[in-house]
Amino acid sequence: MTEYCVETTELTKDYGKVVAVDHVSFKVLRGEVFGFLGPNGAGKTTTIKMLTTLLKPTDGKASVFGFDVGSEGAKIRPRIGVVQQEMSYEYSLGVEENLDMYGFLWNVPKKERRERIELLLGKFGLKDVRKTNPQELSMGQRRRLQVAREFMHDCELMFLDEPTTGLDPQARRITLDFVREKVEGGMTVFFTTHIMEEAEYICDRIAVIDHGKILALDTIGNLKRKFGGVSVIHLRVTDGKDGLNQKLEKLRNVERIVYPKQEDEPLKVYTKDADTVLSQIIDMASSSGLHVEELRIKEPSLDDVFIQMVNQKGDGQK
Amino acid sequence: MIAMQLVTPLFYIFVAGFAYSAVIPTMNVGGRNVNYVLFLAPGIIVMQIMFAATFAGAMLWIDKRLAMFAQILVGPFSRWQYILSKVVSIMLQGLLNAFLVFVIASPLLVGLNVTPLGLAYITGALVLGSLFFGSLTLAISVFVKSNESFNAILNVMFTPLMFLSSVYYPLENAPLAIQAVSLVNPLTYSADMLRAGLLEVYVPLLPVEIMVLVVESFVVFVAATLAFRRVKT
Repeated sequence: MTEYCVETTELTKDYGKVVAVDHVSFKVLRGEVFGFLGPNGAGKTTTIKMLTTLLKPTDGKASVFGFDVGSEGAKIRPRIGVVQQEMSYEYSLGVEENLDMYGFLWNVPKKERRERIELLLGKFGLKDVRKTNPQELSMGQRRRLQVAREFMHDCELMFLDEPTTGLDPQARRITLDFVREKVEGGMTVFFTTHIMEEAEYICDRIAVIDHGKILALDTIGNLKRKFGGVSVIHLRVTDGKDGLNQKLEKLRNVERIVYPKQEDEPLKVYTKDADTVLSQIIDMASSSGLHVEELRIKEPSLDDVFIQMVNQKGDGQK
Repeated sequence: MIAMQLVTPLFYIFVAGFAYSAVIPTMNVGGRNVNYVLFLAPGIIVMQIMFAATFAGAMLWIDKRLAMFAQILVGPFSRWQYILSKVVSIMLQGLLNAFLVFVIASPLLVGLNVTPLGLAYITGALVLGSLFFGSLTLAISVFVKSNESFNAILNVMFTPLMFLSSVYYPLENAPLAIQAVSLVNPLTYSADMLRAGLLEVYVPLLPVEIMVLVVESFVVFVAATLAFRRVKT
């Protein structure tokens, strides 16, 4: 038995001139949570559609459990589970019936279906709406139903395409913990998201994808080390903001400045020489009469690593 | 829902059928004199099968809109199984409708003797009719871009199918041009098969019609399966 669940070599999908997935190569180990991280439109869903045999690759190779995704789909599909990004449900059935019908389609015996339904309704907080039609549920409840439904049957490899979209933080945590629990039981997970904290919370390894290309693939720790070396200084000022941007642009040893989009966010200064930049900011504050509310050096988060990676690629392309 | 679907056939049989009977008391079909209401009833039942088949195409639209189509296709199923499930689903619905029309129209059918061969004709007419029209509407639903276009095409298509067939009148006395067109219409074959089973009236071309209907139904089913390769997920 191969130690990899998924193997791709130069996997490509184009729609004429638009290249959605551009010669990507990676391997997913058995029993790991493999994160596919990237912004919207990066090629995550197209990759999942090829690996789950819905789309044929234009070029390159991909295999799941050693079977080719283009020609041996029938050998792959009984062994995988898929939670699509698009919300899906059977409109004419209630929540409980949706779960039951799906288990029935997967040939799960009736007694086992009853047990699983009770477990999943409880786990995903759907007991109170068990008889309700999905069309009358909130978006979060529908998403929970969709995720729960996929656990009506056993599978060796689960594809989760942004499964927490529309979930509140508590439901998100419950979902991720449930997935983790299944992974401890031997399941492998291919997990796509554009939410960095999520990837950091659940994934063992991460491939960062943008514009159809893999920018990096490693454990989170290694990615931080590789693309790190860059610290982030958080700066928040209340008074004396006039001309602040021009003054910051004059600082030495600064890699990049990210200005806050919302009022409660700090301004972020990325640098490889935090001490020098920090002392420059302190000097600037005292000479300009800035009232500093927050000034601290933060270890880079996956978010920072990601921005750094995408920017480095952008610079390289210029 | 089922009750609503029964309104039209019952009006056809009990209102139009009896009203026309006053004008056309009996007619000669396959060498036998048949009461017009009895002649009409099987035609209306196969028409029900044809209308029920439109749901098969509509089901694809709903499944695509609610992403269930892709969800089923990532499961341990193939596209032909998906199509077959829709055809079987509308077949069961059509058979239920037909059965209810039989039950309601049973006072008219008293005295009719349905033999085992007749039962085979009845089942064949309903099953093959469902397979043909279900596959046809599914294939059409693949090629059109919206649910509105799909409904418009079916409306335009069903009217000639209904009137250029043996649903309302026996073809033997119809003008030659109408006979020629009606004889390539699968609705004619289903109606004639059902009449053979129920009324024991056999049109001269019945064996050929049955063979053609069997071949056509499977050809359209295979065509629908091939067409489904085009459906994007």
